[in-house]
Formats: sequence, C-alpha cells, structure tokens
Amino acid sequence: MTTEIQTETTEAQTTRGKVYVIDRGRTKLRAGQGLLTGLEVVFRHFRDALTRKLEKPSQQTGVFTVQYPEERLKLPEAFRNFPILLYDDETGQELCTSCFQCQRICPPQVIHMTQARDPATGKPVPAVAEFLIEYDACMSCGLCAEVCPFDAIKMDHEFEYSTDVHGGLTLNKEALNRPISYYEKIAPTFWAEVKDSAMKKLQGNMKRRPDLIGVAPQMVEKIRAQRAAAAAQAPSPTPATPEAAPADKAARLAAARARAAEKAAEATPEPAPDSAPIDKAARLAAIRAANAAKKAEGAADEVAAPATDSAPTDKAARLAAIRAANAAKKAAAEGAPAAGSADFASTPSDAAPAADAAPPASGMPADKAARLAAIRAADAAKKAAAEGAAPASDAAPPASGMPADKAARLAAIRAANAAKKAAAQRDGSEE
Amino acid sequence: MTDILRSWIGGALPDWLIVLIAYLLVTTIVLFYAVGNFIMMVWAERRVVARMQDRLGPNRVGPAGLLQPIADAVKMFTKEDIVPRNADRWVHLLAPIVALAPVAMMLAVIPWGRGWEPVDLNVALLYMVAVSAVSGVGLMMAGWGSNNKFALLGAMRAVAQLVSYEIPAVTALLTVVILAGGMSLLELPYMQAGVPIMGATILCGDPAGCSPLLYSTITSFPGSPNEPVQALDLGLGWWVFTPVGFLGFLVFFIAALAEGERTPFDIPEADSEIVAGYMTEYSGMKFATFYIAQYILNFALSALAATAFLGGWQGPGVAALANMGGPWVHVAAALSAFYLLAKIWILFFVMIWLRGAFPRLRVDQLMDFAWKLLLPLALVNIVSASLMVGLTQWTSAQWGGLISLDGFAPWQRQLIAVLVTAIINIAAAYWILAINQRPKQVEWDEEELIAAS
Amino acid sequence: MGQYQSPCLVLCMNTLITVLFLIFAALILTSAIMTVTVKNIVHAALWLISSFFGVGALYLLMEAEFLGVAQVLIYVGAVSILILFAIMLTRDLEGSQNRQLTPRWWIALIVPAALFGLLIVPTVMTHAWQLPPPPPAGQPPAISGAQQIGTAFMREYFLPFQVAAILLTVAMIGAIVIAFEERERRRRVLTLVEQVRLRQRQQQRQQPAPRPEPAATAVQTSEATGGET
Repeated sequence: MTTEIQTETTEAQTTRGKVYVIDRGRTKLRAGQGLLTGLEVVFRHFRDALTRKLEKPSQQTGVFTVQYPEERLKLPEAFRNFPILLYDDETGQELCTSCFQCQRICPPQVIHMTQARDPATGKPVPAVAEFLIEYDACMSCGLCAEVCPFDAIKMDHEFEYSTDVHGGLTLNKEALNRPISYYEKIAPTFWAEVKDSAMKKLQGNMKRRPDLIGVAPQMVEKIRAQRAAAAAQAPSPTPATPEAAPADKAARLAAARARAAEKAAEATPEPAPDSAPIDKAARLAAIRAANAAKKAEGAADEVAAPATDSAPTDKAARLAAIRAANAAKKAAAEGAPAAGSADFASTPSDAAPAADAAPPASGMPADKAARLAAIRAADAAKKAAAEGAAPASDAAPPASGMPADKAARLAAIRAANAAKKAAAQRDGSEE
Repeated sequence: MTDILRSWIGGALPDWLIVLIAYLLVTTIVLFYAVGNFIMMVWAERRVVARMQDRLGPNRVGPAGLLQPIADAVKMFTKEDIVPRNADRWVHLLAPIVALAPVAMMLAVIPWGRGWEPVDLNVALLYMVAVSAVSGVGLMMAGWGSNNKFALLGAMRAVAQLVSYEIPAVTALLTVVILAGGMSLLELPYMQAGVPIMGATILCGDPAGCSPLLYSTITSFPGSPNEPVQALDLGLGWWVFTPVGFLGFLVFFIAALAEGERTPFDIPEADSEIVAGYMTEYSGMKFATFYIAQYILNFALSALAATAFLGGWQGPGVAALANMGGPWVHVAAALSAFYLLAKIWILFFVMIWLRGAFPRLRVDQLMDFAWKLLLPLALVNIVSASLMVGLTQWTSAQWGGLISLDGFAPWQRQLIAVLVTAIINIAAAYWILAINQRPKQVEWDEEELIAAS
Repeated sequence: MGQYQSPCLVLCMNTLITVLFLIFAALILTSAIMTVTVKNIVHAALWLISSFFGVGALYLLMEAEFLGVAQVLIYVGAVSILILFAIMLTRDLEGSQNRQLTPRWWIALIVPAALFGLLIVPTVMTHAWQLPPPPPAGQPPAISGAQQIGTAFMREYFLPFQVAAILLTVAMIGAIVIAFEERERRRRVLTLVEQVRLRQRQQQRQQPAPRPEPAATAVQTSEATGGET
C-alpha cells in the first residue's frame, strides 16, 4: 500500500524518564487494509517460492534454501575452518620448518610438533618430523596461519569432519598435508600475495634438508621414483657446470657418512638381537650414498644444463657404490647369524642381496670393481624386488656396454633402492 | 451402509448385529478419513508455511517429504512417556482423551457427501458447538493435572478463549439456523443449491422443457408453505454469496480460528510466552493425542464452516449427475465428497496463510476483538438473516400486512432481500468498525493525576 | 435405515436402550456420590462434569436431542468450566484436602431428600408411566425438538422466558458493576501516552497561546483490531 506517512518526533519528560513520541500523522489505512496487505505479501512469497529460487537478495521472493549435501554455497576465500599444512607439488617439500610459532600462539594449544633431525649428525633440520593438530579442540581462530613466517600452515575450507571415532579428529602430518595447488584453488588471491616469498623461503630451506627429510609422506614414493628416473636418464659426460661442484660435495659427504655408518656398524659388537639397528644404519648409509650420487645427478639435472659428471663425481659415485655394497655385505654378515630371529625370518630378502655382494672387490681396478659391485647390487636389487614385490622397473639388467661410471652409478642407485626397500619392509614388519 | 450390509449378508446374521457392524464400519471409515486428513494437514502445513517463508519444508522423507508425518509418528511412539512427579496421575492421563474424544464425536454429524451422512441429528449444529466445548474440560484437566504454572496458565487462556469465542461462533451459526429453519446439518447442502446470490429462485417456466441437467427439484425450506419447485441449479447457491452468509461466514471462520487455537489466536500455547501451554508436561503419544485433537478440531470446524456457508458438498455437476439416476448417483456422491474435501482444504490453506502472515494477538486484543467486533456484527447479522427469511418467504399475512411481497416472483423477492440485507450489513460493519477505531477520549481529573504523578 | 424395520430391530433396540439407561444411571449416581465424597475439590468438580455428561446422555436416550445437547453445551461446556475456574482461582480451596462429609451429614441428607420427595412424589403419583414411550402411531413424526421448544418459548411460556432473560441480564450487569467498582478502587496508573498528554496540557495552561493539538499523538494502535492499549 502506498500510504504516505509523515513522522514527527517530539520529546517529553515523564515520571518514567524521557519519552519520544512519534507522531505518525493520520494513516490512510482503512480497517483491515493492513491485514489484507500482509496477506498479499505472504501470498506473493508463497507463489514465488513455488516457482523460483532466490538468486540475489534484491529479488526478495523465492526459495532461498540451499539443499546442502547436493548444493553448496561457494565459500568465501577468507573462510576458515581448520588449519592444514602445505607442501610443494613438484618437489614434495613441506613448507613447514618447525619453527614452533604456531604451537606457541595457539590459544587452545592443540598444535604439537617435533623437529626433524639429521639422523647422521643428530642436528636439527628445518623440517618437521611429526605434526599433530587436535581438530576437536581447535577453535578455528586462524592465528596459526597468521603467525606462520613460512606460509606453511593455512586455514582450510573443508568442514565436514564429523566422525564417531574417538580421537579421530587428532590429525597427523600425513593427514594435514595438502599440496599448494589445493590451497591455490580455494584461496587464489591469498596465495598469490605470499607465493613468491613462500617459495623463496622454501628453496632456502630445501638446501638444508638432507635426503628425503622434509618431503611430505604421501609424496616420498613419488619423489624417489622421480629421482631414480632422473638418475637413470642422466646423459653421458659433458663439460661440467658450476653446479656440479656442490653436488659433488654432497656426494662426498654422503660417502663420508656411509663410512661413518660402516664404522658404527663395525664398532657395534652386539650380535643377533641387536643387529637390527646396525643393519639399519648400514642400510641407511648405503641409501645416503646412493642419494648422494643421485643428488649429484639430480642437481646437475635440475640446472638443466647438459648435466655431466666430472671425474671426481664419477669417482665419488663409484666409491659410494662400493661402500654401499660393503655396508650391505657387512650387514648381511652380521645379520646372518641372526637369521633365526623373527625380524630376519620375515624379511629374508634383506640378507640375501648383501650376501650376493660379498666377494670383495679390493684387488680389482676401481672401474671393474664398480661394475662388479653394480651388477651384484643390481642382482640383489632384482632379487629383493622379486621377493618384496617392488617395482620391477628398478631391476632392469645393467647394460654391459655402458660406460663404467654410469653403470656404477646405476648400480649404486639400484643397490640403494633395493636396500631401502628391504629396509622399508623390515621397518614395516618391525612396527 | 446398513442397507448395503443387509443386502450382502442379510440372512447370515441377526439384524441388530448388522446395524451394529454398520455403525462400527461407518465410525471406522470416518475416523480413518479424519486421521488421514490430519496426516496430510501436518505435512501440508509445514510445506506451505515453509514456502511462505521462502523455505522448502520437509522434503527428505519419501517423495516431496510426504512420509514425514509417518516419521514423526514413529518418533512420537518411541518417545518416553513422562509424568511429572507431583502431577495428578489420573487427571494427567485422562486429559488427552477428554480433549480428543469430543473432537472425534464432532465428525459424526457432518455430511461428507451427497447421501454420505454418518448420523442424522436434527440438532447437529448445536451438537457440534456443544461437543467442541467439552474439549475445554480436557484442556483444563491437562493444565491442572500437570502441576505446572505454564500448563495452568495455558489452560486458563485456552478455556477463556474457547468460552468467549463460542459466543460469536454460535451467533454466527444462528444465521444459518434462521436461513435453514432448523439445526440439521444434513439439509444444509441441499438448501444451498441454485446459482450464486440468487439461490434456487430462478424457476423453470415450462416443466417439460427444463433439462434435468440444469434444473432440479428443490424444497426451499423445511416446513415452508412453498411447494417443491423446479429451479435452475448449478450447485452454487452457497450462502456465502449472500450478504448475510458472507458476514456470518467471516465471523464464524474467525471464531473457528480462535476455537481451533490457530495463529493469530494461538495464545493458549504461545511458545514464546508459556512454553507450550497446557501441553507443556506432555510427551510422546499423549502429546501427539493433543496434537491430533487440535488438527481434527480444525478439520471439523473447516468442514462445519464449509457445510454451513460454502454449500457443503454442493457444487457444479452434483445435482445434474444425481438427476441422471442409476449408477450416476454414486458418481455424484463421489464428486460431492470431493467438493467438500476441496472446500475444507481451501479453508485449511487460509488458516495456514493467516498463520504465515499474522503475529499473535495479545489477550486483551483477543477479548476486544470477540466482544467489540465479532459479537455486534453477528448480532446485526441475525437481524439481517431474519429480514432475509421474511422478505423471501413470508406471506403478507405473516408480516401482519406491513409488507406485501406476494405479487413478486421468487427471484425478485430474493433480489430485494439481498439488497436490503447488504445495506444493513455494510452500514453496520462500517459503524462498528468506526466505533472501534475511534481514538479513545481520555478523560481524567487532572488535579488528581498531577497529585498521583 | 429408515423404512425397513424388522421385529428384532425394535425389540433388540429396546433391550439395548434399557442396558444403556442402566449404564448411564450408574454413571450418574457414581459420579454424584464421588462428587460429594472425594476429598480433592478439583476431582469433585471433574466428577460433577461426568455426572452432567451422564444426564445429557440420558436426554439423548429419551430422544430429547435438543435438551441433551443443550445440557452438554451449558453444563459441561460452560458451567463446569466456570466452576473449575472459580476453584482454581481460589487458592485456599484448591490446596485443602477437607473432608466433605461432616459429622452432621445426615442433616444434609434429610433436607435434599425431603425436597426431592416433595418434587418427585406428586409427579410419580399422577403420571402414567410407560417405558419406553409408545411410538406415535399414524401422525407424522415431530419436526424437531428444537422447533417445538422454540415455539413453546415464544407462545406458551413467553412470560417465564422473558423473566428468566431479564434475571440473567440483571445478574450480568450486576457482575459488571461489581467488577468496575473494584477496578475503580485501584490506584490509577497512567500510561506513557497519558502522561505525555498531561504534560502537554500543563504546558498549554502555562502558555496562554493555545497550540493546535496534533492529530493522533499516540503509540500507533492496531487499526484492524481496533485494539487500544
């Protein structure tokens, strides 16, 4: 109804305080007219609700119900529910450096983490070993995301977490991890703002992370496979690039570590029952060696220059391979007496490859020895693969005509992989 | 029903047993009909009100949420029956029964279709009113027996509202009694044959030339001196189309809203004020019993309003089908039953519509509305109804020679009566509304007031 | 059901009516006795309602439909509700669990019994009782109880009818007068609107120049209901 109502407000003082009298003038509504207007409005809503949906607020009528599980409102970018951790899509590296800022600021104290340590040196690494968030007590304040200097923790849009499992809302790192691409999808502008600095910081941190530490658990396999593939396709020697030097260094470092591990293995007098850690250490050393070699390769690859192995690299790689073989052998030798134990019984593949690699290569020329080691390692790897149902692609027979250094590297990698796989299996069975 | 049963199993059973079975069957059918409608009403109310509020309403259980009432019923059945420790156990237990039973009894006298009348009671209209008043005792028992303040307050409000709105309702129904010349509900639909406004007054000039599809034999008035006449019958001579019937219908329907405790008269169970009124201490099936009672009361009152003012089962085509005879009579009965159901549902939709539109009245507004507006209107309407009957049916001898309309044709008399009553009713409505609307002149002794403040 | 009447229908119906009568009579008597013996006064009122209902049913059984329904409407629907209201609004009565039978109950028994006898004995002696009443043979059935009663009220019993009406009106007016007297005794509390108006008047008196009064100063009242605060 179009009734012009002029309002006039006057003020008056009463015993019960000040009163504002609104003089609305004489209304033009006749008796019942207002009621009929009300009915008309309601009927309009009823009619429109039968035929259409409310598209925009200015429309005023129409069904505004969102039938939730089927239909969903588009959440605003700034919507926040629970925190998640980000990792890089390509490298699988987590952005988190375990700086403990979020843990400190969290008001309900639901964030817990442990810093990763370099197993060889025992020194802290800028990466997180385990990260726990209790979603059930989280109050979604978003302070953790705001305080994070590395943009590693962000607030998620996901809100359907209802569960009947007690403790099911305490999430570990693997459950918390999301690729950056996911966050970029839900909050494109927010990510665009911080992307460059975050990635830069990540690059810096990656250098200080040995091996696969700091790689998102769900990406470990993939990254390893990538690295293996990259190592396998490494091209023949070409002029060295400056980047090769650090790689070389890394390889040497790895070799040193392997040596240290070897020593540790030797030093440990304990036989059968305690052989596991030694064995593991040995294997770890082998892995490191292999990784170092690979890294050398990877680094060269990454630079995208026609990567090559300079002689020292080559040599280091071969050395690493030999050391790996030795370590494996030693492990096998020590593991053999303990073959009766449950651990070893469950993973015979562990001991077998090492035994195969037993014949020492001391008298041989380095090159030959390396090749021998490579072949043996490859055989071992194959066996391990066959027994451990590992991807068979790793175990391709080494080409005899291959350049020695390449073969050596390949062998080293294969040996390392086989050993690691066995270790993984063994770890699994230990748990 | 008795006759049908007799023809089927006449020889096998003693006659009194057949009568008993027939009554039981009819009772069962009517109760199932009412409860089925109750279920649909619950669903419809929730869906329709939801649309009015731009929502969807329950749409998950079954197609379009149709099974929602059944899910609700299952929930009600499985709920714990709680009796407060200090409640009066027996009164608490009996209250829902006393509330529901009279409401169910109301259904007995309503003509559900042409020839489908469970009981022919010649005081059916009064019976409806009387029996619906009994449920007030049930509410009172519920309120007192629960030993709860809110329940008692709700019961007081419910009963006060019931008692005060009974008066406009009965007064409005009196117009029907005057127009029909009796209190039987059975006759009402037959009397509302004909065409809008004019009723059954457009007579057939030539008895041979009138098609039975358009004209039917109508006894205009029980006990009237007029012979049965052949009149144009479209089944639309509903009283709501005359000024008297219209005003009567408005007053009765509003009073029925109050008696059925529908918004805006849902003061007795105003959730925001007194929890749930007399139902506060009830749970499970006892609560559901109150709920059923309320909806069936609404259903019965809608049926009563439809029968009294909207022609009941009367509608276009019913008389024509019935005149064709043979099996068509049953078709006519089915069609008429459909008409009544449709009218009930339209009235129920209006109830939902009002609920969607209006807020709850205050208690004093409620009482003002009944006593200052509805009752005077209904009283004026009685005068109009009497005039209507006098102008259309009385001979000049009955008027005592004051007015002589003997020379006019029935349709002319009807037209005069409609005009006269329209003028009276409109003038009265204006006047009463104006009285009520006039701002109150506050008279006071200023000296005293100044001293007081 | 109308025309077809087997002999058993009539006979069995008579038996049924007798049985029903006995049931209702038992209901009425039990309820009446409970009304005067039960301790809780609300229960007594409820028993009274049950008794009223039984009487209504008896009227229906005698085919006095109008009387039966009127009994239900007036006694069950209105009077008993008023009784319940009165009980519940009276705090002292509700809580007490007084014994209804005092030691002098026999006086209470004798007086009503004597009065009842005074009424019933002449009726019983002079009336020829036939139960059930014979169906009117030959003559058409009565149009309806309501019409007969209406005619009787407007013809034979016109004076008593009017006297009763005046009595009720007087009673109602008296109730209103009493209620208004009570209200007047209460101290007047001004509404805010009244206070504001009072101030305005006072100001007007102080300033001799009369100010035109605004058309409708007030809190807006609901137009349709005509409700006034």
